[in-house]
Amino acid sequence: MLNYLTKRTARVFVTIWAVATLSFGLIRLLPGGPFTQLRIQLLRQGLPAEQVEERIRNLQNIRPDAPLWQQYLDYMGALVQGNLGVSIRLDEPVVEVVANAAPWTIFVVTVSTILVFAIGISIGALQAYWEGSRFDKFFTGLSMGALSVPFYVLAVILLFIFAYNLGWFPTSGRYDHSIENVWSLAYLVSVLRHAALPIAAYSLGAAGGQALAMRGNSIQVLGEDYVEVARLRGLSDSRIATRYVGRNAILPMYTGFLLLLGFRLGGTIILEQIFTYQGLGLRLFQALNQNDYPLMMGTFLVITVVLVLGVYVADLTYSRIDPRISQGDEGEAY
Amino acid sequence: MSTNGSTEQESKIRTDDPIIEVRDASVTYDDGTSYVLDHASIDVERSEVLGVVGESGSGKSMFASAMMDAIPDPGVLSGKIVYHPDEGEPVDVLALDDEELREFRWEEVSMVFQGAMSSFNPTMKIEEHFRETLKAHDAPVEEGMSFARELLEDLYLDPKRVFDVYPHELSGGMQQRALIALSLVLEPEVLIMDEPTAALDLLMQRSILMLLHELQQKYNLTMVFITHDLPLVADLADRMAVIYAFQFAEVGPRDEVVGNSGHPYTRALLNATPNIEAPLEEMRPIPGDQPAPINVPSGCSYHPRCPLSTEECEEVDPSFYDVEGDHVAACHHWEEAQEEIDLHLAGDDDGAVASDGGVDDE
Amino acid sequence: MKVKRTEDDPSAETRTDGGSGQFDWRGETTTQISRWDRYKEIYEERIYKPALVAWDDSRTRWGSLILLFYVLIALVALLDLWRFPATSQAARWMQPWPWGSLAYPLGTTKSGTDLAALLIHSTPYILILVTAGAIWATGIAVFVGTVSGYKGGTVDSVLMSVSDFFMAIPGLPLVIVLAVAFSPENPVFVGVIITINYWAGLGRSLRSQVLTIRENNYVEAARTMGTSTPRIIFKDVLPNLMPYVTVNAVFAARYTIFASVGLYFLGVLPYKIQNWGVTLNLAYNSAALFNVDYAYYLIIPMLAIMLLSFGFILLGQGLDRVFNPRVRTRMAGETESTVEDDDEDTGFTEVM
Repeated sequence: MLNYLTKRTARVFVTIWAVATLSFGLIRLLPGGPFTQLRIQLLRQGLPAEQVEERIRNLQNIRPDAPLWQQYLDYMGALVQGNLGVSIRLDEPVVEVVANAAPWTIFVVTVSTILVFAIGISIGALQAYWEGSRFDKFFTGLSMGALSVPFYVLAVILLFIFAYNLGWFPTSGRYDHSIENVWSLAYLVSVLRHAALPIAAYSLGAAGGQALAMRGNSIQVLGEDYVEVARLRGLSDSRIATRYVGRNAILPMYTGFLLLLGFRLGGTIILEQIFTYQGLGLRLFQALNQNDYPLMMGTFLVITVVLVLGVYVADLTYSRIDPRISQGDEGEAY
Repeated sequence: MSTNGSTEQESKIRTDDPIIEVRDASVTYDDGTSYVLDHASIDVERSEVLGVVGESGSGKSMFASAMMDAIPDPGVLSGKIVYHPDEGEPVDVLALDDEELREFRWEEVSMVFQGAMSSFNPTMKIEEHFRETLKAHDAPVEEGMSFARELLEDLYLDPKRVFDVYPHELSGGMQQRALIALSLVLEPEVLIMDEPTAALDLLMQRSILMLLHELQQKYNLTMVFITHDLPLVADLADRMAVIYAFQFAEVGPRDEVVGNSGHPYTRALLNATPNIEAPLEEMRPIPGDQPAPINVPSGCSYHPRCPLSTEECEEVDPSFYDVEGDHVAACHHWEEAQEEIDLHLAGDDDGAVASDGGVDDE
Repeated sequence: MKVKRTEDDPSAETRTDGGSGQFDWRGETTTQISRWDRYKEIYEERIYKPALVAWDDSRTRWGSLILLFYVLIALVALLDLWRFPATSQAARWMQPWPWGSLAYPLGTTKSGTDLAALLIHSTPYILILVTAGAIWATGIAVFVGTVSGYKGGTVDSVLMSVSDFFMAIPGLPLVIVLAVAFSPENPVFVGVIITINYWAGLGRSLRSQVLTIRENNYVEAARTMGTSTPRIIFKDVLPNLMPYVTVNAVFAARYTIFASVGLYFLGVLPYKIQNWGVTLNLAYNSAALFNVDYAYYLIIPMLAIMLLSFGFILLGQGLDRVFNPRVRTRMAGETESTVEDDDEDTGFTEVM
């Protein structure tokens, strides 16, 4: 078990290293070179040409004129120390920008993903219980419809109805900037109001998909012998529903959960743009548009690290939930 | 379809001290157009081992489920099933309400299914299965658990080991034995077993039968053992019942049914049992197929396949005839059957009926 | 008890299976099956019956019809049966048909372009994109999953590490970076880039299915007979994966639409002809958000996207039924045995 734990943890580091390398390489692919923009900017600001290179080196921890492998080592060295360079456009250390943006993205993704599963599992379970009823048929249709609507379409629709036309929710931003006191109730309310539409848009479509999956799993489990035997053994309905049907139906959904997590973290790049919600996704997108490579690399890397850590935690807990998987290679959630 | 409801029939079916009486039990899935259990009547004698033998699809599993009023939806069970506890009033099983039924099942009559692996919750340890069963019936848990340990030991399982594992970690034989222990934990009077050894290898089958015999003696259980494998249950059973096309064809003491069967189907079944030592040309399958519920033949349901069938057989569905003592057979021509259909049992030299009527397996 | 031994019986020939030669119980049952019969059988089993079941299920029927509809629209575009979109080809902000004119049934945009033309002429592009993405994602996943699961060992470790790497990267950001780097215009290329990490999850679950199939007796038998690996994979392993693969291919298509349209919406992917995502973007940035009268500009592209996705989902759900043996026999009008496989649910891995 310990062996597995160490192996798995080592993999986290290896993956992060690999992605860091990848982002290093990717950025080099982008047109214009990583520091063209910075060079132009610095020159425009009136910095003498000789000092430009020096300045870049200080800001970005990379010697732009050094050979590629050396740039790579500089980059990795700085990374290990927690230094992600300085954003060209914002003129702030990337780490600060990221630290400001990350909690909001994590907040929205976590809450919406929890909602997806809470709603999906509840409805799916009820559908299986009342299989064939009008409730079942209605929600099956509704779920299929929900799956057909991409979250960004839903986002635009929600914005259109509830923000622009009805005015119930703000159209952009993370919180009301006029509120000074971060710890006041008003602030909390404004945070929730601003997050409501993004979270709603991000949850409803996917919830439909999970409802269908849960329904299918539950129906299959309901047909299993051990459910019938449990009934004959005299167990109560609620016990059977939770410990027998629920447990066994939810297990296969774990894989889907992990995959969803990845795509949702990445999807914030679109979601946050629509709502102008300053999280990692929006920052990444802006950085891309502005050729702000340090910020680009930084946000990309941080999004990935969040994902890797999330999957790591899920992997470790999965084997505790499903006893059929023994530790080892099959301890993977997939 | 005949109803064995008359008092004459009743006397043929009745045993001395029945623990369960089944009268005209019928199960239909299509409002009576066809029956998967067709007005079956039988008594289960207290403390006996009753072997119910029939082919796949003959209705034997329906019969098993019927005794616990556990016919899967949307089947409809009708008839009368009466349970006679040691003390107290007889219980009309089909009239019990949900709560009473819940208490009845597993506390009075319990069941072991084929395929033990699928009878356990894969995400729960074995121990928890026992605990929750005890709790669901408001039984004292600690006492129940130590009784469970005793049961497991009777079944040659190590309770410490078995309790702490998940079902998939046990071998097939161990699972089956654990399941037997689970079905006995509330000390039921009757244990119904539906093909409990079908998924196991021969050696394991034999040892489980031995264990069942020991358990039956120790706890004075009544057992109903349902199988397609006649020789398997022949050793263990006190009485045997043969079921064909959703009805009982023959019922009687084991020695009688095996050695002196009256119903042509029983005799054909005995002859059809493969014997490793016999040469190929002595294999005697029964020609034809079992009927599906929707096209059960008129009159005697066996007549299309029976070498002795006459016009009477095509028109009149036989009710039970007395063969000898408690042995009854539902055949108009049972005497003829005994004379004309030779029994070729394992261990015979030349195919004549073994004179002592027993199955000789050395 | 006397045991009858075959050596004692002079009339019996010795046979390797221990039986006596007089009783050829096998001879009666074998018949010659001609090649034509075999093909007929294959056609019936693999094509006719599944199609029958599939068509019977209203979901597959509607799903296929919807997809067919889009293909027809694409044909209309390819055959130039509808005018090409151009700015100022009509009055600006014309309402869709019941309120506007029949000549411009879906209305016009802010710059006077025929909305119907925009949607119609971008359909071929989108369809190619989606098909390419779905085939690529599923194809790679099948390859990786099968080889990895069947071979095991180092091959497995390597492929799974690569797979894990791709799964660890959030999809859209990677695609966006690649899109900015390569500026892909070829729809096939776009489809491939978009699904660049979608295949990894599917590959993983296929691998675990293959691990189970691999343990089946007939695979072992084939191996013992010396059948080559590719042949085993094609004839024994793949057919069992087909249910899962078909259902998931459809969902890969759905993902491709969503991702591609999303990226066009963001303005990240280049385009020659405006396609649905671009149109949506323009609508989003125009007055349509604020003005109910112009809402159609937003809604109509959305409907185009949603209808195609819905078609794919219907098809996917219907196909799921095709491969479920219990449904199949009822439809095809026979009573085959209802033995259930013990495979897991042929569920889809739904993302986004």
